[in-house]
Amino acid sequence: MDDVADKIIEILRKNMKDPSKTVTLETPLSELEIESLDLAVIVFDIEDTFGIEIPYNANEEVEAFATVGSVVDRVNSIIAETKSSGAAA
Amino acid sequence: MTKTNGRRRVVVTGHGVVTPLGTGVEKFWSGLKAGKVGIREVESFDTQDLYITIAGEVPDFDPKVHLKSRPLMLADKYSQYAGCAAAEAVEMSKLETPISDKEAYRSACVIGSGVGGLTTLEFSYKMLFQENKRATHPLTLLKAIGSSASAHVSIEYGIKGPTYGLVSACSTASHSIGNVYRMIREGLVDLGIGGAAEASLNWGATRAWQAMRVLSPDGLFPFSKNRNGTVLAEGAGILMLEEYEHAKERGAPILAELKGYGMTADAADMVNPSIDGASAAIEMALADSDLSPSDIDYINAHGTATAVNDLNETRAIKRVFGNAANNVSISSTKSMHGHCLGAGGGIEAVAAVKAIGENYVPPTAGLTDPDPECDLDYTPIHGKDREVNYAMSNSFAFGGLNAVLIFGPPPA
Repeated sequence: MDDVADKIIEILRKNMKDPSKTVTLETPLSELEIESLDLAVIVFDIEDTFGIEIPYNANEEVEAFATVGSVVDRVNSIIAETKSSGAAA
Repeated sequence: MTKTNGRRRVVVTGHGVVTPLGTGVEKFWSGLKAGKVGIREVESFDTQDLYITIAGEVPDFDPKVHLKSRPLMLADKYSQYAGCAAAEAVEMSKLETPISDKEAYRSACVIGSGVGGLTTLEFSYKMLFQENKRATHPLTLLKAIGSSASAHVSIEYGIKGPTYGLVSACSTASHSIGNVYRMIREGLVDLGIGGAAEASLNWGATRAWQAMRVLSPDGLFPFSKNRNGTVLAEGAGILMLEEYEHAKERGAPILAELKGYGMTADAADMVNPSIDGASAAIEMALADSDLSPSDIDYINAHGTATAVNDLNETRAIKRVFGNAANNVSISSTKSMHGHCLGAGGGIEAVAAVKAIGENYVPPTAGLTDPDPECDLDYTPIHGKDREVNYAMSNSFAFGGLNAVLIFGPPPA
């Protein structure tokens, strides 16, 4: 696992009811007992940690938030987009 | 008859609104009938760095035109909206003001707000922390406090009885109206002004709401399959309430009777509403008004267009109404005026009173593709003529704080 994944798992653990649970990239977010408000806090924490903005709406089912791995992929791609748009500007 | 079952009756003798559809009940009501939507791109502050750029802002509100009192002209916008809506309600009621000494202590004023003068606070923090000013404007504190709207209105009309602000997020106005209703019914006062005002649209508050991830970037589409969140708005909704005999004696216009009030708390979750709490509040309001579900012709739903609220509210209505749920007309007028937060219940109470007065059910705008799980009659797109004797107005706030009001026709 890369640095981004480690940091994201650390953020998830902070918001889990049972932080001792095993978390892998394949773990579905639904198994982490995270509620909607916790998810908003997690997204905020991820944005703050990586200096990015994640378009996320609690009213919609979002594929990017299905598993831990899909969150990591989404964050990695937003980091890449942010970097390239920064380079262009 | 003064009493029903030995009880003092409470009537509505005036109402007033400030809304994104315009200022004044007639403008508001004609907007609702026309299915007009007051949600637009934000104009009052810079939306740079925000991905939510729409809101229900009050158009063309000029304190110099809409207000008479100088103290109110210096107040926060939320108090100005309250003062303007209260003036409309008081004028309509033909009550002589300032209220006579004899009646002053028998009058109440409960005007709440979800957050009070938040924009005043944001501005003063900006001055202090960003612009390094050495002091804030001397009126900052008086503008910011959540009781300033009720204080201003009490001063304006000489109300000397129970006067304060009341807070319950998006149920604030309904709780305030219900509170005045109970005070009149129980004999503490004979008349009172109840409602709420909100003017918290600013960059910081939008940023905070945006972080909760419950706002829609496109619009407020209650009960729709594609609903994707609520839209912030501002305004005020105020009722003039009076004991029936008192109103009759002075020949006041009687718009409706406030028949019942229910209030409960979910005691469960800050954001996820419970069917139990909502349906208990509806049941309590029905019992208080001595009506059965089949008597209710119209429900002005809380209908915020969040994924969870609309489904929960539908289920609560179904649970309490049973088969009668299929015959009641429902709409969420938030689809047009947006979510006016603390003021919402007051504005929607005015819509309910107008629905009774005009025998007309306003629509749920934008409801072209209903959620299959929200399968009641939400009066999609177009409003309709219908005999409306009894109308219910629901408010279900963050924190699980519920308030339900039931209005009926003027006593015969």
